[in-house]
Amino acid sequence: MEKEFTDVSIPTSLYKKIEQKIKGSGITSVSSYVAKVLRESLLKEEETQEALTKEDEEKVKKRLKALGYID
Amino acid sequence: MKQIYIVSGLPRSGTSMLMQILDAGGLPVASDAKRKPDRSNPKGYLEVESIIDKLRDNPDYVFNFEDRVLKVIAYGLQSLPPGNYKLIYVDRNIEEILDSMKEMMRAKDEEREDTKKAFIKLNNKTKADIKVREDMQVLFVNYNEILSSPKKHLEEIHCFLEERNLDLEKMIEVVDEKLYRQRRER
Repeated sequence: MEKEFTDVSIPTSLYKKIEQKIKGSGITSVSSYVAKVLRESLLKEEETQEALTKEDEEKVKKRLKALGYID
Repeated sequence: MKQIYIVSGLPRSGTSMLMQILDAGGLPVASDAKRKPDRSNPKGYLEVESIIDKLRDNPDYVFNFEDRVLKVIAYGLQSLPPGNYKLIYVDRNIEEILDSMKEMMRAKDEEREDTKKAFIKLNNKTKADIKVREDMQVLFVNYNEILSSPKKHLEEIHCFLEERNLDLEKMIEVVDEKLYRQRRER
């Protein structure tokens, strides 16, 4: 079975900087912060992909109707 | 201007589960209870009927839900007028979403690949749009990750909504592995 979490090494100096940065921010650990930043970075890459066309929007609306989300 | 809490994501991405979690934690939920629990959502939908159409016709309708959490799936977010929002956006494996839609429609999905492409684009566009809105604080969560590690991810939500002092233990209790019927290898 695949492990749910794994270790990634970062320089200790960077770790300490992040530790300082997240103090009082509500983020509970350096690991959470790093995961958050990486997720956002991946999201940004996804966003540069193709734009939603009129045809795509029609497909979305057709499906939303079939599911009862719009009239 | 009072805060309005929004739960969003693609349809069948786990938005109802998230509403149940917030409800259990003590956040008042905007629901007209018109859509009854069914096979697709045994614990109920916790939504306002035709909210997308209502917001399209009258965006200010959203101000009826101040201080409460309202479910607006991704396509409807474009209708939200300037306000004061905290939004939790749920992502889920797209194949699981399509499987769940198919089950809900109880029909063969003849256009699965085209529909998949369209929803991926909608998801990306919506996430890009909400990230740049200055009237919106956004937390992105993942349905699959919440189910595999509820405590860790619900703590993030609890922290995001810290001003509401929600009951974290009750939120965690809601995550019911039995609902996770369509797990797929990612």
